[in-house]
Amino acid sequence: MHIKGLMFDPYNNAYIVVLRDEEHSDMLPIWVGKSEAGAISMAMENVTPPRPMTHDFMKSFLDAYNAKVISVVITDLSEHTYFAKIHLMYEDSEYTVDARPSDAIALALRSNAPVFANDTVITKQSSEELEQWLENLKPEDFGKLDS
Amino acid sequence: MSTINPPKEQSLIEYRVDRILEEANTDTRIVVLARQDGALDTFPIWVGSAEGNAIKLALDATITPRPMSHDLIKSFAEHLSVTIQRVVIADVKSSTYYATVYVANKGVERMIDARPSDAISLALRAHCPIYITQDVLTRRSTTNLDAWLAKLESKNIGTPEVQET
Repeated sequence: MHIKGLMFDPYNNAYIVVLRDEEHSDMLPIWVGKSEAGAISMAMENVTPPRPMTHDFMKSFLDAYNAKVISVVITDLSEHTYFAKIHLMYEDSEYTVDARPSDAIALALRSNAPVFANDTVITKQSSEELEQWLENLKPEDFGKLDS
Repeated sequence: MSTINPPKEQSLIEYRVDRILEEANTDTRIVVLARQDGALDTFPIWVGSAEGNAIKLALDATITPRPMSHDLIKSFAEHLSVTIQRVVIADVKSSTYYATVYVANKGVERMIDARPSDAISLALRAHCPIYITQDVLTRRSTTNLDAWLAKLESKNIGTPEVQET
């Protein structure tokens, strides 16, 4: 999946990382917090901070041991929460580590590793997303429609 | 890895995280370190709110439903059989502290540069000691004041006259 961009979601006061599968034009929005969005946007824009940020440190840690991020996978979605796995290669063995999608994506961008999403996540997302938007609608939002 | 702290041994004083304070009017937290040996000395470090929260979670040993960033680093260390030996607040430049995380695997020690907030967050999760170099301790008093003033200036609190006092 391509990381298409970051959007601000005023309803949830959070940010949305938009992933897109170019082949099937599937979209996967992932809600993340402000600092997580910052970590992703710095990598997207290739900003080098004066001191290593958390994910730069994470990358240095893996680099110190020649551990490579092979890929990250958004694996599951339940109750509006996404889960991810990071696949690592270290000394000819592969390791799978549980992570939040925001950490996985921030690290993938710094490691030039591909981001994948399970099919089930994409299908589940389309129904859950609608629910989430409906839940977040406030009376004021309906008011706006009238005016 | 590290360019900040050359591998020469400096005298180190061990500290522990005493508490996290919220600073009024700013989106920052103050991590208060206290001497591990009980001597009366506290060492405040200003960090962002997200960084402060990450330290608070570890300090309170809160279990989060999903691994937070530093839990993930700890998990990487476990998978790679790397132990986090200690973290050292090793330098201060223009009111900004720099830290080094010492990691070891198969008897080989490596150093990784980090922000103190990341180093402390990790130290609490890895249950490893936190040190401050004597050099940083000697040079800190004015930097604390500078940091306070910088924070005040950035939020435009008070008048220039007040800031100079």
